[in-house]
Amino acid sequence: MTSSPKDFLHEFHWLMDVLHNIDVGLVVLDLHMHVKLWNGFMQNHSARSSAEVLDVCIFDLFPELPEAWFRRKLQAVTVLHNAAFTTWEQRPYLFRFKNYRPVTGAAEFMYQNCTMLPLTDATGEVNHICLIIYDVTEVAINRLQLQQANAQLRHISRTDGLTGLLNRKTWEQSLRLEFKRFQRYHHACSLIMLDIDHFKDINDSYGHTAGDEVIRRTAAILKEGLRESDVAGRYGGEEFVVILVDTDAAGAQVVAERLRTRIEASSVPYEQHIINFTVSLGIAELTPKISDPTMWIDTADRGLYNAKRAGRNQAIIYHT
Amino acid sequence: MSATVHLSEDYRDRLQEVTNVAMGQAADRLARLLDTFVVLSIPHIEILSPADIAMALHSIDNSASVSGVCQGFIGGGIAGEAILLFNDTSFTDLARLLKYDGYLDHDAERELLMDTTNVLFGACLRGIAEQIDMTFSFGPPMVLGQHQRLDELFNPKEATWQQALVTEINYKLEGYNVNCDLLLILTEDSIDLLCKKLDYLLT
Repeated sequence: MTSSPKDFLHEFHWLMDVLHNIDVGLVVLDLHMHVKLWNGFMQNHSARSSAEVLDVCIFDLFPELPEAWFRRKLQAVTVLHNAAFTTWEQRPYLFRFKNYRPVTGAAEFMYQNCTMLPLTDATGEVNHICLIIYDVTEVAINRLQLQQANAQLRHISRTDGLTGLLNRKTWEQSLRLEFKRFQRYHHACSLIMLDIDHFKDINDSYGHTAGDEVIRRTAAILKEGLRESDVAGRYGGEEFVVILVDTDAAGAQVVAERLRTRIEASSVPYEQHIINFTVSLGIAELTPKISDPTMWIDTADRGLYNAKRAGRNQAIIYHT
Repeated sequence: MSATVHLSEDYRDRLQEVTNVAMGQAADRLARLLDTFVVLSIPHIEILSPADIAMALHSIDNSASVSGVCQGFIGGGIAGEAILLFNDTSFTDLARLLKYDGYLDHDAERELLMDTTNVLFGACLRGIAEQIDMTFSFGPPMVLGQHQRLDELFNPKEATWQQALVTEINYKLEGYNVNCDLLLILTEDSIDLLCKKLDYLLT
């Protein structure tokens, strides 16, 4: 390095060019939060020129900056002489800028990471702070899409495609869990098995798409009529199960009766037909006599069998 | 690559001394920033294998009350990562400590962990760097186990290194339910250079 003034000016000039044109936001603040440097990236994205912002307090320029939080961060930087960081996962942005790709970009604003650096003067005192703003929109969008895709896959792997109820694998897991919970805490818990009456006739008279509609409607009524803690799933074909936590057989009978009347009252319009249908339900409350989850299902199934034999469109408890 | 890195008693003492001094400075700075007295344990220095480190991290996956944050640093041929393990730390106390007055949702909790790590670790490494006349660049802190279980993130069997130099420091903050362990992990290939730096310092 040479010390001739001309060379120094020259060097200073291209250094400033670099700072100005680098595709990263650079801001220098003094300890009163007044802007001392505002590079090209910041000018272009904020639509504010240097002349507008220099020597103005950053909080007056950007009222959306969380002032208390920001001051606390910068205080750590000045006291500890230590960089501080913010990432998009905690705060999506510091300055609300548009996404770089207003047309094809999926985000409506620029996700930002920010580093806050202490700048020392000749005596080693920190009296300026440099903010470096990184555009991390691409990374953020990719990560968010991945999270979304994972959530979707998780949902798909747990639910039944036709009805949106829990699939067999998933509700059987719940059933096993409730069974274990009962063994430990002896909280009342009941299982309802539900079967659409004369479903084969519906398929035969109106076709399988009509049958699918009836199954979907039944599932929708189950979803509406249950509490959040209840678990509704599809057993297979036209059979459904409902696990009712903290509910004894009498309580389950009330729920079953409610589901039965709602289904009886509903009708499915299909082409020029109106399809009315009913369901039969079997109820089994867990008791110490029920030795495993399969036996619990069998017990509810017996209730269902009795309901069918007694003329359908009714709910019957099977006592163990 | 050497099969075993050996840190002689002499170097260990020197490093211990450097770390002690750094921690003293760090405690002073932290006290000024946080308005509370920081109780620091005497640094414990050891050469550890990937399996040892995996074991220390294991607690994050298996206990809801342990959180971990890592932060990388590099400079002049020395590189490493700091891992802060928060044991049964109260988030409301962390918020009080950092004068954070917003509502504490999950994101805010993570931000508190990251900020605390940055502050505690930054203060400590800065003191060490000054004494051995180096400056380091820091990466942003990351909360561990947030997106992936740690046993997937770090598998000691697949590690490409055999040993690392680990300095362990325990932090307690007077009047707050905050207790954490800082593991300052230096990579195998940083150890030689660090020893050279320690030579300069004490001759």
